Amino acid sequence: MKQKISYQERVFQTVNALVFLALGLTTLLPFVNLLAKSFSSESAVLAGRVGLWPEGFQLGTYQYVLTEPQFRQSFVNSILVTLCGTALAMVLTCMVAYPLSRGWLRGRRLLILLFVFVMLFNGGMVPTYLLINGMHMLNTYWALILPSAFSVYNMILLKNFFEELPESVEESARLDGAGNMTILLKIILPMSLPAIATIGLFYAVGYWNNYMGGVLYITDPQYKPLQQYLYELVTESQRIQEGMITGDYNMDRDSMNATPDAIRAATIMLSSVPIMLVYPFLQKYFVKGLVIGSVKG
Amino acid sequence: MHLSKKRTGGLTTNRSLSMYLLLIPGLIFILVFHYLPMYGAVIAFKDYNIFAGSDPINAIFESEWVGLKYWEQLWVQAEFRRAFCNTLVISLMKIVIGFPVPIVLALLINEIRLTGYKRIIQTVLYLPHFMSWAVVGALFLSILGTTGPINAWLQSLGFEGVKFFMNERVFPWVLLVSALWKESGWNTIVYLAAITGVSPELYEAATVDGATRMQKMYYVTLPSIASTIMMMLILRLGSIMAAGFDQVLVMYNPTVYSTGDIIDTYVYRIGLGQLNFSMGTAVGLFNSIVSFVLVISSNLFCRKMFGRSIW
Repeated sequence: MKQKISYQERVFQTVNALVFLALGLTTLLPFVNLLAKSFSSESAVLAGRVGLWPEGFQLGTYQYVLTEPQFRQSFVNSILVTLCGTALAMVLTCMVAYPLSRGWLRGRRLLILLFVFVMLFNGGMVPTYLLINGMHMLNTYWALILPSAFSVYNMILLKNFFEELPESVEESARLDGAGNMTILLKIILPMSLPAIATIGLFYAVGYWNNYMGGVLYITDPQYKPLQQYLYELVTESQRIQEGMITGDYNMDRDSMNATPDAIRAATIMLSSVPIMLVYPFLQKYFVKGLVIGSVKG
Repeated sequence: MHLSKKRTGGLTTNRSLSMYLLLIPGLIFILVFHYLPMYGAVIAFKDYNIFAGSDPINAIFESEWVGLKYWEQLWVQAEFRRAFCNTLVISLMKIVIGFPVPIVLALLINEIRLTGYKRIIQTVLYLPHFMSWAVVGALFLSILGTTGPINAWLQSLGFEGVKFFMNERVFPWVLLVSALWKESGWNTIVYLAAITGVSPELYEAATVDGATRMQKMYYVTLPSIASTIMMMLILRLGSIMAAGFDQVLVMYNPTVYSTGDIIDTYVYRIGLGQLNFSMGTAVGLFNSIVSFVLVISSNLFCRKMFGRSIW
């Protein structure tokens, strides 16, 4: 429907569009600055001369980061943990969400309460650490995978989705003699692909972005995930800025023409690449998934 | 797998059995990773000694009871009181200043007429939500660091450079701004969803009455999403004890402990850094209990008021 647009409203529209242009730039420009830094020469970065375009273009920083053994190990660790963790988490979540979505299951309310309670109350960081320690999981991939392999929040989302599915298909399958497992694998899951994709992405992003697991449970460099590697770069350079420790500028970084600042920038860019790659899917499914979850009364 | 031959009735037990079997892995999982640590929190009332038992878990049972020893020590510790106050201050800053931001953004996004432009803006504004705090922390350190563009800009304008991460008065604002930058866009989603639900008839009626777009925004949209706003606010108040562990841990450092140290980071330092397990557990348990009471009451309140809650 075409409406008459008054002068006042045209001004408002223009100002509004400009405000969001500014906000959009505020969101993107820090990344652009980092990208520029990561391609700039050492002297330009140290002098703080890098804006939105590389000064003294060079690839030494990326060459340094990509050949750094710890970076490569951590990158592999993160991919491994993300893939295995997401797969395990999806299996666990489906196995719990399906029974709890069936209204006829006896004891359902009590079971749901048992799961929801852990969202509301937790034993705390220290007892959890002692548990992981006692199970000999410190400095293993398990410490990165298991503690976050089941999210009650995601389970509830999936359960709500299962509840919305039409019952007729399931009923006719049941009359044909199909058991619960057959119904779950052959009927429920194929009908729930969008929800499964959404929750799979939730888990995958959660695993990829988790630096806390590494900080709490991993000290052996062999198992450090990428985000922990980045965390340690940050805390290390913070201490350098404070003068608490002296930076090791004269190591092999120098021969590569890379400053800690540029190295950090390149590491940020490289560790964000996987997120950027899945972002189009994230956008599509996450918003949908969040809306599925939030409209539930 | 059992495929029952019977067609009707009497199946309930059979049908249920495999369902309960499906639940077992998940139940074991929360038992081990959630309920066991809850039990482990009893060491807040014990003198936990990691060598008291055959392994760290057995030591939980074997350690000696000391009653409220650590709880009494807690309130004497200036560091704990400071962390407690900082948690409240940082959370309140995030609520008072940060809470209205996504609402205003959602109202304004809704007014953008060019659909393509609107979608691009939304895509851009949601992006930081998907970055980890390690990435965002590193990013802010680069932008606000001594050789970063913000300081270069300040100096070019003739101001003195600001040490954003080392100045205790500035640091809470760094936390606030970075949290706003990361989550404000994403947090608009719930309000945008609520706006979609506003009846078009209300707008048509307002148009007939000669309301401008601005007036419609103020008199139609805003009141229509008021209950969503209230609900989000109450739920947000319920999580006031969570001032942002992931965020603070990556951004703070000893020079800003006085304003930046929160309960979670304090637990991390004394519990796992200084290995004072019982003290760390006591602080953590205190935090868990307060959070639990707040979350439960805010949810009950929401359910009473709006018939909706997060579970």
